[in-house]
Amino acid sequence: MTPARSLRPYRSSDGVIVARQEIRDLWLGGRGLALTLGFSVLLSVISYLVATNQALNYLEQRETVNLTLQVAIAVGALLALLAAANAISGERERGSLESLLVTPVSRSGLAAGKLVAALTLWLAAYVVTVPYVWFLGRDVGAVGDALLTGAVVGTLLAVFLAALGIVISIASDSNRLSLSVSLFVLLALYAPGQLPSGAQKGWFGEMLVRVNPMTAGSHVVDRIVISGSSWGDQLPWLAAPVVGALIGVAAVLVAAQRMRLHGKGTG
Amino acid sequence: MATGQVGRDLGREGERGEEPAIRARGVCVTYGDRLAIDDLTVSVARGEVLGVLGPNGAGKTTAIRVLTTMLVPSKGTFSVAGIADSHPSEIRRRIGVLPESPGYPDPQTGAEFLRYHGRLHGLDRAAAHSNAERLLAEFGLADRARSLIATYSRGMRQRLGIARALVNNPEVVFLDEPTLGLDPAGQLQVLGYIRSIANDRGATVLLSTHLLAEVEEVCTRVMILNRGRVTAEGTVAEVTALAAAPRTVRVQVPGDLTGHAANALHEVADVERVTHDDARPGSLTITLNGPPELGGAAILQALGQAGVPVRSYEMEGARLSDAFFAVTGGDS
Repeated sequence: MTPARSLRPYRSSDGVIVARQEIRDLWLGGRGLALTLGFSVLLSVISYLVATNQALNYLEQRETVNLTLQVAIAVGALLALLAAANAISGERERGSLESLLVTPVSRSGLAAGKLVAALTLWLAAYVVTVPYVWFLGRDVGAVGDALLTGAVVGTLLAVFLAALGIVISIASDSNRLSLSVSLFVLLALYAPGQLPSGAQKGWFGEMLVRVNPMTAGSHVVDRIVISGSSWGDQLPWLAAPVVGALIGVAAVLVAAQRMRLHGKGTG
Repeated sequence: MATGQVGRDLGREGERGEEPAIRARGVCVTYGDRLAIDDLTVSVARGEVLGVLGPNGAGKTTAIRVLTTMLVPSKGTFSVAGIADSHPSEIRRRIGVLPESPGYPDPQTGAEFLRYHGRLHGLDRAAAHSNAERLLAEFGLADRARSLIATYSRGMRQRLGIARALVNNPEVVFLDEPTLGLDPAGQLQVLGYIRSIANDRGATVLLSTHLLAEVEEVCTRVMILNRGRVTAEGTVAEVTALAAAPRTVRVQVPGDLTGHAANALHEVADVERVTHDDARPGSLTITLNGPPELGGAAILQALGQAGVPVRSYEMEGARLSDAFFAVTGGDS
């Protein structure tokens, strides 16, 4: 047995129709709102702590903006990853995938629509982050830089992670498997950032940090928000998030062609 | 036509000069080492309702998934609605499918669900809207059109699934166990819809089911699958005739004429055996070895000639279930 081949080329209208419905389901169904509310609470706690807690007050103001922004990017992209990891395997688990696959809509349109819907969680997270960044950075003139860096790096990382989630979801037979693998990969991606600073400075350590979209993206935010580094200086570091996002989207379109009724993992 | 070998009606389709709605030739599907479908060759004329029967694991759902382009067969070719299997998305435009145990997106309403699938089939927004409203009314869901699917009963979900299968006005409709889990009233309702799909819409229907009564009631043809192979195919009457099950006639004659009647019946060519119940004088059970309708006529004639009045007459022929068990060997 082999999966059905799809000869129908991708049409942008396929993706738009799927994306519209998926966004409605995500937001009107309440899941998006619940996740965004949770995100807001988390960001509020962090902002409150960095702004008022005496023990944390040693942080320079720009560092508090950076810390808040880094958390917002990491958690916002994580939300996109979680929604994406549920996208196809969730349909499979609910038994609703077959009804979608028997329509003439292209597989890539289906996957692209779900990717876009997952990314709206990042968009919402970013919008929620804006007032926090403004509040923390208004006195040190860091608001503009922080918001722009957050938008660019956060969007690239969210696209990268959401695409990763979709690809894993296409291959997985169950949500549990898809979510587990996605979270494991996410942790693995963050691992180089946890290396001792000495290890990160060697050529191998620096290469690990540079080629990894998550750590490279974090480096860009760090340098621009805290050190006031220019975008031009950070372009080489931005390469990994850009390439990661592009490869991610390409991987989604390729994996979508192999989308089938049953994934891997549960017989 | 009744045969363990299928596809003989390809010639008949040719005579009509009409492309069959479904045609499969030598289709095989393997799951690892296991052959799930073995040499499926079948032809279904337009407008027919083909019932696909078989025990669990016989390959019914796999066969439907091949014909609906969800699986590519390891061997063989097929066409649906005149479209070759090399153009799966063109086939998908022309078919409607109710999968086995379909799931539904709980955050959507019935109307939203049908509109979405209409859009996925290429309808513009206005057409998808009016189409959804019409289908909801047709399937008795108009009053719950704005309710979330999560609040629907099983029967309502099944009706919604059938409505979804018709959202693109398909030429061929595949229904995989459409009455699964429904109460008798729900089953009856779904059977009515299947009849309407074939009669009013003129669509060809392929109905996979475990319920033999469904097939006897609505199908024009039957195909029995067992262990991936077609073991019988034809009209209900033709497949039933394969059963060679005992066909019996019960007659009630005056008690004092029981022996006389039995002697007269022994002379009838199609009568294999005559038994009577001592506790119920005049009650005779006759086992036939030929077609029940011919044997029945001969019995009445023989009793009439012998001057035995018949007080009651009851004929019990072989049923589709007899054929099913005969050709599947009682597998489950």
